Amino acid sequence: MNRRIVFILVALAVIIPMLLPVSLPVSVSEPTQQLYDYITALPAGSTIMLAFDYGPASLAELNPMARAVLRQCFDRDVRVIGFTLAADGTTLASTIMREVAEEKGAVDGEDYVFLGFRPGGTQVMLGMGNSISSVFETDYSGNTTTEIPMMKEITSYDEIALLIDLASGSTTELWIIYTNVRYDLQIAAGVTGVIISQMYPYLQTGQLVGLIPGILGAAQYERLIDVPAKGMLWINIESFVHLLIVLLVVIGNIIFFNQRRREE
Amino acid sequence: MELFGIWVAALLTLCIYSFLYQDNPFYRFAEHLFVGISVGYGIVLSIHQGLVPFALKPLWAALTGESLSGLVKLIPIGVGLLFFARLSPQHVWLIRYPIAILIGFGAGIAIPNVLRANIFEQTRGTIEPFAAMHAGTLSGFGVLEAILMVAGVVCTLTYFFFSVEHRGPVKWLSKVGIAFLMIGFGSAFGNTVMGRVALLIQRVDFLLGDWLNLIS
Amino acid sequence: MKRQVPLILCFAFGIVMILTQFSPHSFSQGIYEEVISWTLIISPFALVLATATLIQTHVARIQRRTDHWQYSFVVFAGLITMVVIGVPFGPQHQAFEWLYTNIQVPMDATMFSLLAFFIASAAFRAFRARTFEASLLLITALIVMMGNVPVGDLIWNTVLGWLPLEDGASKARQWILDNPNLSARRGIILGVSLGIISQSIRIILGIERSYLGGGD
Repeated sequence: MNRRIVFILVALAVIIPMLLPVSLPVSVSEPTQQLYDYITALPAGSTIMLAFDYGPASLAELNPMARAVLRQCFDRDVRVIGFTLAADGTTLASTIMREVAEEKGAVDGEDYVFLGFRPGGTQVMLGMGNSISSVFETDYSGNTTTEIPMMKEITSYDEIALLIDLASGSTTELWIIYTNVRYDLQIAAGVTGVIISQMYPYLQTGQLVGLIPGILGAAQYERLIDVPAKGMLWINIESFVHLLIVLLVVIGNIIFFNQRRREE
Repeated sequence: MELFGIWVAALLTLCIYSFLYQDNPFYRFAEHLFVGISVGYGIVLSIHQGLVPFALKPLWAALTGESLSGLVKLIPIGVGLLFFARLSPQHVWLIRYPIAILIGFGAGIAIPNVLRANIFEQTRGTIEPFAAMHAGTLSGFGVLEAILMVAGVVCTLTYFFFSVEHRGPVKWLSKVGIAFLMIGFGSAFGNTVMGRVALLIQRVDFLLGDWLNLIS
Repeated sequence: MKRQVPLILCFAFGIVMILTQFSPHSFSQGIYEEVISWTLIISPFALVLATATLIQTHVARIQRRTDHWQYSFVVFAGLITMVVIGVPFGPQHQAFEWLYTNIQVPMDATMFSLLAFFIASAAFRAFRARTFEASLLLITALIVMMGNVPVGDLIWNTVLGWLPLEDGASKARQWILDNPNLSARRGIILGVSLGIISQSIRIILGIERSYLGGGD
């Protein structure tokens, strides 16, 4: 089969269900439930950090989970400090925080703050362990961090109840290595499909308190907060493409075994 | 302006998808524009969110007498400036100084932290179910899973252990290790498919929804 | 000066970072915090390396008139536009954000979404159960793929509804990820971490010098 025919089939498997949407129930996996429960159990007024460690290449999977987590936090009066270690994700992260805050009526500087981007990766993680304002002297809008109302009592990880790393690369492992043991920072992650599998050893040891696995996790989280959005819509469309790929693999193998039998 | 932006984004999206037919000038244009724009974006962010707060502001504060402690920052700023030696073939060796500092820092910080987070904690995680087993809090199936986990970890490590020849029992352990690795890679592949397809769905959602308004 | 000083710097920063991790004394912690702030200052200057390499590559393409050299002008056009707007006005300027949102974001997202097509094509043409190991990989991938989407459970409950296990597809996926996948990944983590530690020791002791590059 010409590869362009495969391309057309894949495109149709996305386009048709998008125009004629179906809605199948999504079952919630334990790692997603754990993160949801962890945030639910936080007392009102707690502060979490949300690291937008991804760029536009991964927005399809991570934007829906960022929105879902922010919605849950703002609903429960959990304050959010957002920032990014990925330069190309800065405007994206800033926009998402602003949009969800507007939707939920959260106030910049009181309910949330977006600190922006700092280069350095590991050094930024370690630096914030000493003092958040030594790394982010100002927030993304240029306000002095120590003068922002919600930051007045927050100096380092000691006052942070949880860090959620939304990651498309190896940053979650770096957060675990450099901040979990040394600063006793509780960490959870929302990751792209590519890196879901490698997170499981950290879940079992408790180094990750929860995990949102890719677009499936985003859909599960939307179900948990009861606000169906893109995650729910897209995971249903995903069903058709997965079915197609499974079918292609099966057909490919049938052809392969037939050819081999003939050659023998 | 918003509508114009959607049209620009849609046309550039189609330019890139045209590669699925074959390489063509539209794709090459979009590809090169993307490289230029994204590097430009990176430069601006690195200057405004990196150089300005870390180097220029403390330096300015020191020079204006606002905070003399900023003068100490002259040393790392000077070291950082050595990266510009990359632009002069005669002095390019000078970039070894900042690179050596960053590499040395990275290596030094990695040793104790990787040891604790990845060796000790992961080993603890492997052994811990046996403590639960000993305490009688692990169910029958949980016991099997705990044994499977230890077997998997040991066999996978054996596969990566090249200091002894893989013969006899080591060969068999290593073969079991390969089986575990294949299951690991298979699950990674399954999840990767989900991730990649999600990216496509998002783009089609944009084209059919935001651009063509075909989705209610 | 060209090799010895960088080696000494690397050693000094590496050793200091290790020692300060084990000493809670305020003097030691002061050094630890100062070194981190130094490396934070040095890091952003590294953007010079990436930018210089990109510019040199495309200047060389234009000078040598290599294939499609004209597109290098598009790279420069994109880069200069972003820098000219972003450096003086900052990354929150409306025009800068417009270029990011309507050019960089859609192209970046689309570029990676192409992989959905290629992964489907590759799965059809190359994903074969040739050996036992390949079969394990394939079967695992198929289970995880079906467990990742709601239709997997729908098929399970329809076809295998007589079994005492509901939503078997997603449960099978979860079991694979929680057990054999976990073991394989843990083996890899332990192996890689031991590698990182030994490589870090070699770097600090000056045995591994590849970061210095060639030349004297």
